[in-house]
Amino acid sequence: MPTLAYRHPETGEIVDLSIDRDGLAHSVHGELACIDCHRRSYRRYPHPDRPAPGDLDCIGCHEDDDRNLSRGWVDIDAEFKRSVHAVSDSPKAAGFSCHSCHDPHRFRPAAVGEPIAQIVRNHNGVCLSCHGSLSAASSTSHRWLPNRDAHWGSVRCVDCHTPAADFANHEVLPAEKSEKNCVSCHSADPQLLARLYRFQSEEDIARHGLFAKAVFNEAYVVGMSKSPALDRLSLAIMGLMVLLLAAHGLGRYLARRANRMA
Amino acid sequence: MMSLYLYPVWLRLWHWMNALLFLTLIASGVSMHYAGADWLMPFATARVVHNTAGILLTIGWIGFVVANARSENARHYRIRFRTLIGDLIAQTRYYMIGIFRLEPHPFHVTEAMKFNALQQLSYLGVMYGLMPVLILSGWAFLYSVYLPETLFGLGSVWVVAMTHVVVSYLLALFLLVHIYIITTGETVFSNLLAMITGWHRETDEIPVKAPRETP
Ligand code: HEC
Ligand code: HEC
Ligand code: HEC
Ligand code: HEC
Ligand code: HEC
Ligand code: HEC
Ligand code: HEM
Repeated sequence: MPTLAYRHPETGEIVDLSIDRDGLAHSVHGELACIDCHRRSYRRYPHPDRPAPGDLDCIGCHEDDDRNLSRGWVDIDAEFKRSVHAVSDSPKAAGFSCHSCHDPHRFRPAAVGEPIAQIVRNHNGVCLSCHGSLSAASSTSHRWLPNRDAHWGSVRCVDCHTPAADFANHEVLPAEKSEKNCVSCHSADPQLLARLYRFQSEEDIARHGLFAKAVFNEAYVVGMSKSPALDRLSLAIMGLMVLLLAAHGLGRYLARRANRMA
Repeated sequence: MMSLYLYPVWLRLWHWMNALLFLTLIASGVSMHYAGADWLMPFATARVVHNTAGILLTIGWIGFVVANARSENARHYRIRFRTLIGDLIAQTRYYMIGIFRLEPHPFHVTEAMKFNALQQLSYLGVMYGLMPVLILSGWAFLYSVYLPETLFGLGSVWVVAMTHVVVSYLLALFLLVHIYIITTGETVFSNLLAMITGWHRETDEIPVKAPRETP
């Protein structure tokens, strides 16, 4: 069992500093030693049982680095500072920081090509770790959203709860400003889902046709994943039928008129 | 003047309720399928309207099937196989040629049979073929959460959705033709009046036999 603990010299209690090492190894910080981040707080012995606040924040280390990310760190920080969590004066939201949502020992951004359902589960897991009571069967929250749990399995909280325009957006909006318009997803131009679907791999995006979609079991979303080819064919057949019937009707009318005149 | 009472009250009630629900389903279904255009019903409204109309349509359809099986009306839905091919040819020829030459109808409405062969086959196909598929796929959509992930190796919601869409296009096509064909009665409105009043009226004193090609 991986342990990193010591007996506190004054109280005699065991202080456990171990963390999930596999989690860290798979995270973006897998290359770092504990001490790279914890140098300042844990410099002295006995260690404090929590690192000092503000000591190691993501931005402090990352400010100058824009590698691999869709957005700069400074933008993320600014968005976060405007979010409900940062501006809330609720005592429950006091001390809210990047670490409230991101465990630095586990953090790994979603990668292109990861299954969408998996990404949705991970990202929604972040929000539900605090807002879990929303998904209880008895919860009346989001009742206007039909098949709520099916939605929460295929779209992310942040897709509705952050402004649609930007990329990886950290500006979580207050309830009354959040998106309620079904058509921002249920249409041929699902703006809200653009951010989620950018994680689709090249192959996924290349798969256009009617049957390719079926074979790869992509979810059918009403209004969004309709097949334009099928629609065009059907409408063309109906249009032709209308013309045919109109011509038939005209023929009947002319025949009768000719008969009446004769 | 000849009058036959061919459309009992229950049938007319069912029919006009069905027609109304069908138009509602088309309007709300199109609003969801093509969601985004602003001349359509709002999505959330369309969903509720569509589900409600679909449930009522199901009840109506079950009512039709039960009533049709238990009443006299069923006789009109029994195919006369012996003469079927000849009747179909005669009826098709009439719609394509005869009608423009003002030939008499090849089919004559009687107490025993109110549908010509084409009418009969299309009503049978619609009521006992397309409608049940439409209804089943609609209910499967409604309870899609409980569907298995895949069906025949394909995503099951996809299979359900495609079935529903294709069948509804076919039924919309039927509706177009249906509404046109009812104007080919003795006068443009005589069939429509029959479905409203229940009485089929004809002024022809002597039923004219259809001119047949075959000797
Ligand atoms: C990328 C920087 C980073 C690395 C590497 C790192 N930590 Fe941390 N650690 C943090 C931050 C930031 C916090 C504060 C989190 C918070 O405020 O909740 C923290 C908190 C902790 C805590 C107290 C809170 C908790 O999560 O239980 C312990 C214990 C800890 N780290 C141990 C370790 C050990 C052991 C290692 C090496 C195996 C390690 N850390 C590696 C950044 C790091
Ligand atoms: C002590 C400084 C430190 C802190 C605090 C820290 N990181 Fe890092 N982080 C690093 C270093 C160093 C790397 C580069 C690791 C490598 O290249 O293998 C890194 C890599 C990353 C990467 C990979 C992409 C890149 O830019 O290379 C991401 C994403 C990331 N960190 C996110 C975070 C987040 C989110 C937090 C806050 C929860 C955080 N980091 C806190 C030092 C830190
Ligand atoms: C660390 C716990 C925590 C996490 C994680 C968290 N929240 Fe919150 N959230 C809170 C607290 C606390 C409040 C403030 C409650 C209040 O003001 O009463 C809040 C408020 C909100 C509100 C505003 C509610 C209102 O009444 O206006 C929204 C929306 C929200 N969170 C969405 C999210 C989303 C989306 C995520 C995931 C990206 C998330 N939260 C992650 C704790 C959390
Ligand atoms: C389809 C868009 C959508 C999705 C997806 C969504 N929300 Fe919301 N949420 C809203 C809207 C709109 C409101 C405010 C309107 C209302 O509920 O009356 C809201 C309200 C909230 C509130 C305020 C309290 C409440 O219940 O009204 C919280 C907290 C919240 N959402 C969290 C979440 C979390 C966590 C998730 C992901 C599991 C999530 N939301 C997914 C649109 C969404
Ligand atoms: C309310 C919870 C919450 C808070 C607070 C939060 N994040 Fe995030 N963060 C998320 C979620 C959810 C995602 C995944 C969605 C996405 O990629 O936009 C994410 C994604 C990220 C990513 C990956 C972006 C990418 O393009 O792949 C980085 C980097 C990041 N956060 C950094 C931060 C930093 C830095 C802070 C503090 C300033 C912070 N986060 C605060 C919830 C949060
Ligand atoms: C953030 C995007 C988003 C928003 C906003 C949204 N939906 Fe959805 N909706 C989806 C997705 C994605 C699915 C497919 C779920 C699945 O089956 O995986 C879905 C599925 C559904 C379904 C179930 C159909 C099925 O496939 O089983 C209904 C009904 C529905 N949405 C209605 C609504 C209504 C009504 C609203 C507005 C109040 C709304 N949705 C808003 C994305 C969204
Ligand atoms: C507004 C639209 C509609 C109009 C104006 C209309 C009109 C008529 C008329 C006038 C008749 C009597 C003529 C005849 O027996 O052929 C009729 C019969 C019939 N219609 Fe319609 N109809 C409409 C919609 C529908 C729809 C949507 C369906 C089914 C999906 C349908 C199914 C039938 C059937 C099965 C009959 C025969 C009923 C019987 O006599 O047993 N109709 N329709």
